[in-house]
Amino acid sequence: MLTKIAGGDIIDPVNGRLGKSDLWIRDDKIVAAPAGGAADRTIDAAGCIVMAGAIDIHSHIGGGNVNTARLLLPEQHAAHQARPATTPLSNAGWSTFQTGCLYAKMGFTTVVEPAMSPGAALHTHLELADIPIIDKATLAILGNDDFLLSMIRDDASSQMIEDYVAWTVASTRALGVKVINAGAAAAFKENVRTFSLDDVVPSYGVSSRKIVKTLQAAVDSLGVPHPLHVHCNNLGSPGSADTAAATIAAAEGLPLHLAHLQFYGYGTEGKRKFSSAAARLAELVNATPEVTIDIGQVMFGQTVTVSSDVMRQFSARGSAHPKKSVIHDGDGNGGGIVPYSYGKDFYGTMQWAIGLELFLLIDDPWRVFFTTDHPNGAPFTAYPALFELLMSREARTEMMAGLSSSAMALSTLAAIDREYTFEEIAIMTRAAPAKLLGLTDRGHLGAGAIADIAVYRRDGSIAKMLGQAAYVFKDGDLVVQDGEITHYRWGKALRLSPSPDKAMVRRLEDYHQQRYGLSLDWFNFPDSAIAREQPFGEVACRM
Amino acid sequence: MAVAWIGNRETLVERAAAHAAALLGSSRCPVFSLDTDIHGTRAAIALAERVGAAYDHVDGAALSRETALFTDKGAMTVAPGETRRRADVVVIVGELPKIHHEFVGELAETVPDLSAKNQREIFLVGSSGVSAPPLNKGRKATLLSCGEASLGATLAALRAQCRGRQTSQPVSNFDDFAKALEAAHFPVFLFSGDATEGLALEMLQGLITDLNRTSRASGLHLPASENGWGSALASTWMTGFPLRTGFARGFPEFDPWRYDVARMIAAGEADLHLRISSSIVQPQKKQKKKSRMTMIALAKTQEPVAGAAVTIAIGEAGVDHEAVVYSSRTGSLRSVDARAASELPSAATIIRLVASHVSAKAALPC
Ligand SMILES: [Zn+2]
Repeated sequence: MLTKIAGGDIIDPVNGRLGKSDLWIRDDKIVAAPAGGAADRTIDAAGCIVMAGAIDIHSHIGGGNVNTARLLLPEQHAAHQARPATTPLSNAGWSTFQTGCLYAKMGFTTVVEPAMSPGAALHTHLELADIPIIDKATLAILGNDDFLLSMIRDDASSQMIEDYVAWTVASTRALGVKVINAGAAAAFKENVRTFSLDDVVPSYGVSSRKIVKTLQAAVDSLGVPHPLHVHCNNLGSPGSADTAAATIAAAEGLPLHLAHLQFYGYGTEGKRKFSSAAARLAELVNATPEVTIDIGQVMFGQTVTVSSDVMRQFSARGSAHPKKSVIHDGDGNGGGIVPYSYGKDFYGTMQWAIGLELFLLIDDPWRVFFTTDHPNGAPFTAYPALFELLMSREARTEMMAGLSSSAMALSTLAAIDREYTFEEIAIMTRAAPAKLLGLTDRGHLGAGAIADIAVYRRDGSIAKMLGQAAYVFKDGDLVVQDGEITHYRWGKALRLSPSPDKAMVRRLEDYHQQRYGLSLDWFNFPDSAIAREQPFGEVACRM
Repeated sequence: MAVAWIGNRETLVERAAAHAAALLGSSRCPVFSLDTDIHGTRAAIALAERVGAAYDHVDGAALSRETALFTDKGAMTVAPGETRRRADVVVIVGELPKIHHEFVGELAETVPDLSAKNQREIFLVGSSGVSAPPLNKGRKATLLSCGEASLGATLAALRAQCRGRQTSQPVSNFDDFAKALEAAHFPVFLFSGDATEGLALEMLQGLITDLNRTSRASGLHLPASENGWGSALASTWMTGFPLRTGFARGFPEFDPWRYDVARMIAAGEADLHLRISSSIVQPQKKQKKKSRMTMIALAKTQEPVAGAAVTIAIGEAGVDHEAVVYSSRTGSLRSVDARAASELPSAATIIRLVASHVSAKAALPC
């Protein structure tokens, strides 16, 4: 089928296409304008902007910890009222089904779950497979697991470490690797309560820095397109900006991605010893081209923090609102679920402002990524309001008026004029994520790309415009019209397929037999276990 | 071999499924009780939404105590693998379901390789008559009890004594326990909702929280039913809620009292019961009041289930067909092959077939 999206303003920074033009789709791909071709279907995009489908690189949408958060908080996601059932379970609360529908309505077509525990890979992929419409991907967590820490302690060769990382990525069907407070979850099991970049995991004598550097090198050497995704130490602590700065310096020329930098943007100035270090971190990011970051923006209201940083979540239990939490010591990281409400008090305002400062003070939209670390800083449903804040100084000024003035006094936000342009939004939420993840088939509107397309009708309210797309196509299927789901389909989980080394598989089989009393079969699964026609889409490693 | 019946009459599966769908379609208050694998659960929830049913586990009470611990209070928990590798003190809390006895035996036979202590002490909390899973070589767990006091009261006394408080009746062998805790690096408490009241589960978490003020400890959740916990997980991701959720008003509502399916049946609220369990269904207990409830049974059976309006034979997950199930041994979902593959269809296949005969506006998610 040939479709013409007619007369919209195309915003495609990758191919240098900006301005009024037609966009053509044949079946599931974008094509060049056919010579004299007549469209089977024409979409009138006059008065609209046309971008590639958006890509979220860091949003906790599925897996053991996310599901535990749902279980912990039945009162937080009660469905409100029955609406016409255009999609199955369309009236459910915070469910897999809602996740896919709500993302699609905003024009997002690919979302990365950034914290898959390798032991819960099957569970994670089953949840992701129940998220309709969009494509998904996962990052596998390493860096607190006994097997890796033992190899580092025993000076295993870099080849052996790469074999282990490759096996993990392949067997868990991941698109990349994440390390979360490297070594801290292991140290916490030995009753260590704080952990920094140069602290050492007691039983292994291995520092957090050494774990990060080892994994960074392995990921790079294996040709995994996405650089090692790092959740630094000391998340949320006053003075954590020092840790982030030290981690940025530790990139040392090799690619490194720092997750939710806002949560490390904290200095120790002022009478509360809690201040914005955003300007300092932004300057460091600007000066370190091998580093990319995402923000983890805080927006006000009730949410729940879901993290595999079990040490940090344990220490945050006292601030739980409502007063309940789950802390789990897992085989590697485990995790913690702590509900939290961001108020417009000094601390909440400070965090909100720091996130925006980072967005606005980091110059290169190719290296700063749009996230709320869903649901940690805010649920992803806050994205439309966040776009508005980035694109409108007036919207920020209006918001600041109702916030803590003592916090605003310690922030540079009020003095920042910058407003993101649509072209910068298209880079930050489309082109750059595709590049960062190694997805050449999306994030742009060139011929040959998959037809993941978001069409937004221009409106005085940016939040309304970007919150309810006029049209969304996924793989050429029209899935959203006027902000409502019109077609239900299943996406894929994007994965790498490095071939695992046979000697490493034997070694792991022995390890699991000896240490867990179980064969490796207990942890492996065939694709058929997902019970969907094509659950996975393969992405190539760098040569 | 016959695989489907309407009443006592053999029929084609397709025809039985259509009849089941018609019964579901005309039911005023359908209820489902499940004992099935992950894909069976997913299919059942999709069908429940279509027909406005409430669903629960076949042994809903035990599972409900376990989910309530999480929905109401939260918990500190540890993975089974970490328990085997790290627990230098293991405390069995009350009577554990038989399915977990093998793992307890394994804990007794091994030592923690990630602990400096390299040995494992085993305690058992409960009233004086509590029985422990058999341990190897006549090894016995040290009993922590307050005579006939309930498990909850014993845990309360244990917690109080751990805090250095006096109790009216001291816990037996407390000094041994205190000494063991003093030297322990990672004590783990094994618990289940099977025979343990909700308040006892909360008291146990209070004790674990206390211990974590200065050292480490955690709890290993050994579910009363692996299928039950697996269904709870799938229901939670699909609807936001665990079992005892109902679609009476078109959207999922979680209400552990109202959607207690055993209660709904006993009270005569339900007029149709879809029972999904590969194990043989016992004939329905005689109802006190004359029940007009219709039953549809999906079971591994060679004959019609007594009293069922429709019976369709299904296979057993991991025996007749490959499946995904919750494994308490790994603490996560696991893929299992068919041990003795047969022609018997999975629960999911039959439920989807039934659903395909129920008219609906929306596509089916599973
Ligand atoms: Zn995150």
